Amino acid sequence: MANLYVKAVPPADLNRNTEWFTYPGVWTTYILILFFTWILVLSVFGCSPGIAWTIVNLAHFLVTYHFFHWKKGTPFADDQGIYNRLTWWEQVDNGQQLTRNRKFLTVVPLVLYLIASHTTDYEHPMLLFNTFAVIVLVVAKFPNMHKVRIFGINADK
Amino acid sequence: MMASTVLNFVNTTVVWVTHALDAPSARATVFGFNIGGHLFIEVLLLVVILFLLSQKSYKPPKRPLTNKEIDELCDEWAPQPLIPSLDKDMQYEPPVLESAAGPHTIVNGKEVVNFASANYLGLIGHQKLLDSCSSALEKYGVGSCGPRGFYGTIDVHLDCEARIAKFLGTPDSILYSYGLSTMFSAIPAFSKKGDIIVADEGVHWGIQNGLYLSRSTVVYFRHNDMDSLKETLENITSKYKHTKNLRRYIVVEALYQNSGQIAPLDDIIKLKEKYRFRILLDESNSFGVLGSSGRGLTEHYGIPVEKLDLITAAMGHALATEGGFCTGSARVIDHQRLSSSGYVFSASLPPYLASAAITAIDVLEENPILLTKLKNNIAVLRKGLVEIPGFTIASHPESPIVYLRLKKSMGSLNNDIHLLESIAERVLKEDSVFVVTSRRSTLDKCRLPVGIRLFVSAGHSESDLHKASESLKRVAALVF
Repeated sequence: MANLYVKAVPPADLNRNTEWFTYPGVWTTYILILFFTWILVLSVFGCSPGIAWTIVNLAHFLVTYHFFHWKKGTPFADDQGIYNRLTWWEQVDNGQQLTRNRKFLTVVPLVLYLIASHTTDYEHPMLLFNTFAVIVLVVAKFPNMHKVRIFGINADK
Repeated sequence: MMASTVLNFVNTTVVWVTHALDAPSARATVFGFNIGGHLFIEVLLLVVILFLLSQKSYKPPKRPLTNKEIDELCDEWAPQPLIPSLDKDMQYEPPVLESAAGPHTIVNGKEVVNFASANYLGLIGHQKLLDSCSSALEKYGVGSCGPRGFYGTIDVHLDCEARIAKFLGTPDSILYSYGLSTMFSAIPAFSKKGDIIVADEGVHWGIQNGLYLSRSTVVYFRHNDMDSLKETLENITSKYKHTKNLRRYIVVEALYQNSGQIAPLDDIIKLKEKYRFRILLDESNSFGVLGSSGRGLTEHYGIPVEKLDLITAAMGHALATEGGFCTGSARVIDHQRLSSSGYVFSASLPPYLASAAITAIDVLEENPILLTKLKNNIAVLRKGLVEIPGFTIASHPESPIVYLRLKKSMGSLNNDIHLLESIAERVLKEDSVFVVTSRRSTLDKCRLPVGIRLFVSAGHSESDLHKASESLKRVAALVF
């Protein structure tokens, strides 16, 4: 009698907005996108590799800051607005802190910063921009900053 | 003392760092870059990354609210009222009928002439209808106990649908259980999100609700203004030239409940064919009224009924029963049987009402004199009201809704309504003539001017009509 029913494993993430980040191959894709963006920038602008990495780093900063740390809620209506006050970063892994995905997402801007600063030889003004980008992205990703809006930035109206 | 210690410490650190960076190992070149001071920062960042990776994951604890916070939240909460507070206008209580709403009825224990019911053919209380109702009641009982698709279809429903289709000369028709819901079910059944509806700004609330429920893009044109319609159609056609699979509809009322105007169907058909729109026509007030045999607006203009894509009508007016129907081609009707909310989800029309509708159409077909009588009555009342002070007759000469509009507005909608209501009240009290103002629901978006509406019936006698026109003229002369 015990095994009459199928034991369904609940999906890892019920939030359709963040579920895609649990798929296999997402990290590889992420890294490849950054790499090919660098190649693209390099070939389009014909600049030095260091400047290209800086551009990639800053673009990565703008895009991820907007989509991970600024826009709240989900584009789907069927979750009835329970995520309306949370940014995408706060929704990842159901708010669990320091998970593999979160560590990956934190390491990416750090490594980008390393590459960008190293290849520009720590020159002003690229260093300033790169440092600003990495500080904002990493501070926003601290576990202590979960659901915290410092200085009321992006706070609920 | 303190400052010199700090200075000393800083100096030592600077010397040590410079020394470290100047060390021969730090002068290495990696990938063509001189490492120099890089090493220090890069190692530091690497340590940070390793430290991060070594952390264990955890779920941030949910901190329950303290009692103080709960109290604060409760104190802060100011509930919004569910409805706006009632003002004096909203507490207005209309006169209550104490008998059937025939041409004569009883209000406050007094017999009055009734110009407030859309009983155009005077069929309320007709002996044949009563007989038909009571025999259907004996045979089927009152309710039909289910939606049409779910044990609610009874032979009289099918007979009634066939009778209406035969009367109007259309291939098929479909019955709805409530007159208003006919429009707001039929419109969303065809027009979906992204589709375009061009509607007259004077359409009644049932249609407005249908437009809203369809979630389509709704564009209004000026009331009964064909130039405005043409302009609107032109704009839409050029704006959506490259959009494929777009359904486009024109929604008009045959006889506008809100103004008594008749839609110029011949012009609308020309425009519809030119710009390739579909047309949905509501015949609630014109079915059984317009045309030489009561077949509605198409007969009035001598236009074949096939030219219209969909006709809806309520049966609560001329046919003196309740419910509504929709008629058109077999495909259009069949589509509604599975996708029209009012048809699918509500209990079907009580069988005795369907049977009364069949009888009402029979009576109408057998007695064309009713229509002549109605037309005559309209003419008599209009003639009687020609010189009424302060008002103009705004309705079409053949409209059974005689619409008296104020010549000069009192400045605001509310003032107008108060004035009209005081006139209606005096007419009722002093002369026992029951007329109504065009009071509209707060949900109604129609912005046409208000007025007094008289619903003429074939059942009114000449003396009733004279009484009404004399009384209105007398009271209007006192007011203006």
